[in-house]
Amino acid sequence: MTLVPIYRALLLAGFQQAAQYRVQSLLWMLFAIIRPVIFLAAWVAVATAQGGSIAGYSVGDFAAYYVCLTFVSQLAMAWNSHEFEWEVNQGRLSPKLLRPLHPLHYSVVDNIIFKLNTLPVLGLILVAISLSFGARYATQPWHVVAFVPSIILAAALLFMFNWVIASLAFWATRMRTANTLFQRASFVFAGQIAPISLMPVWLQAMSFGLPFWYMQGAPTEILKGSVTVEQALLIMAGQSLWLVVTYVAFRWIWRRGLRAYQAVGA
Amino acid sequence: MNGPVISVRGLRKVYKVHERETGLGATMRSLVRRRFKEVVAVDGIDLAIDSGEVVGFLGPNGAGKTTTLKMLSGLLYPTAGEAKVLGHIPWQREDTYLRRMALLMGNRTQLVWDIPAADSFLVLKEIFRIDDPTYRRRLDELVELLELQPLIHKPVRQLSLGERMKVEFAAGLLHGPDVVFLDEPTLGLDVSMQSRIRTFVKELNRRSGATILLTSHYMDDIVALTKRVVVIHHGRILYDGALADLAERMAPYKLVVATLRDGAADTDLSVYGDVVSRDGGRVRLQVPRALAAERTARIIGDLGTALADLTLEDPAIEEVIDRVFSGESVGEKVAVA
Repeated sequence: MTLVPIYRALLLAGFQQAAQYRVQSLLWMLFAIIRPVIFLAAWVAVATAQGGSIAGYSVGDFAAYYVCLTFVSQLAMAWNSHEFEWEVNQGRLSPKLLRPLHPLHYSVVDNIIFKLNTLPVLGLILVAISLSFGARYATQPWHVVAFVPSIILAAALLFMFNWVIASLAFWATRMRTANTLFQRASFVFAGQIAPISLMPVWLQAMSFGLPFWYMQGAPTEILKGSVTVEQALLIMAGQSLWLVVTYVAFRWIWRRGLRAYQAVGA
Repeated sequence: MNGPVISVRGLRKVYKVHERETGLGATMRSLVRRRFKEVVAVDGIDLAIDSGEVVGFLGPNGAGKTTTLKMLSGLLYPTAGEAKVLGHIPWQREDTYLRRMALLMGNRTQLVWDIPAADSFLVLKEIFRIDDPTYRRRLDELVELLELQPLIHKPVRQLSLGERMKVEFAAGLLHGPDVVFLDEPTLGLDVSMQSRIRTFVKELNRRSGATILLTSHYMDDIVALTKRVVVIHHGRILYDGALADLAERMAPYKLVVATLRDGAADTDLSVYGDVVSRDGGRVRLQVPRALAAERTARIIGDLGTALADLTLEDPAIEEVIDRVFSGESVGEKVAVA
């Protein structure tokens, strides 16, 4: 049966709820863009000190990269691994498990609402950063077209990966360490600390083999216009592969997790 | 449906609990080698409940009541045993089962706090795929029975505990479940709200014919709502039968209440039985059930006109339960009704 009426009702209730927390949503969004802006400022300073570029990356290239990365990070963002631990430990998961709808759907709706609520302000901020740093994009129309499926795959991959980590809360009381590990890995392998092409070759090879780059760095490169058609297709193949792997892992862990669930506090 | 709506055989749940002593040394040791203890919450229970029955599930804290309800509602996987509710294995949590069952727990919220309950109801309507006419009819019915009209358009966080409980009830029952598990539905509510919830549950059973399995610490809930009780202790069923027979089966004594006239108020009655209490001329005696008639006759014969009144009573149900749980009474499971 179709999920459309359920999503419509959940979105309606979710927007009503979010309307009461608009400031909080905006603060979360600003908090999330601080890091890429700091990296941008640092790389711009280094590039300027070295005569205007590093390994072929000019100040404008760095600006374009970090603006695209910030946009991608916001669109692909997922946070359910943080919330799920609380839901399991406080018994908030139980009412959801007693309804004929997988708990994952509530997260999808929360995710969409947060992004739709914060996107207009984010857009304005990114335009301002682009202009003030003189961002230089090589984006062709086909890059924008390719970006759409790529960002959807990235968001789905990050979301499912978050659910895999979240599901570990069925066994572990505190999930903070797993979350931190995931964030640190993203820091290096997703292209947050620097564009991946500036990394040592062995680190680049690792990034291509791990899922993190496909969540953020890869769609960033597509949007920035720094990949060929073949590379874009390869990226999407990699994203699809990791999405399938992550989804299968989630299903496996979730089934076992439910068996281990102790429904405490509920 | 033929046969019982809820049938349980040898249901067992064992929790594995991390065990650690206090202190730094113990903390360090637990990092290397974790010690686990097995806690048997439910120890092989059998149960059969027919359609439309209201059954009270009695037991002290930690007896296994809530764990049983959680298994029957599909929240928990059992360690062993079988259960079928409405023909479904609960822990498989099929959508078709979840649409016909409800687990309502006192003090637990399933509504969104920041929006009015009416908006949460609309979400539940879609999740449970309730068609428009049925939804309107059920909502009207619940609003009338629970007197919800002034409440459902306020944000849930602005409601008092009692008001919220009523709204939670409505949310949990909108889909018209055939089986309802009620876990401490009146917990923390004032006397008047407890009474309203009881009336509502009674009416729910009468109108919809829903099968209800209810746990409560309040005997008033049990007495008002159920004819059949299941007593569970240390995960095992001690008694399953009529509430009216519980005292007879589980308390091997009766109470003789003798009221003595003013001049004889100090008469010693301990020769007839154990004096439980003495309040002026009113004396309560505990006598073995089998000897109750003979002792009563002796008191009347011996005291004659010194006796103003004499009654023979079963002990209060709370007393019986208390004795069972404190291990004073019969230990074996009593015949199933």
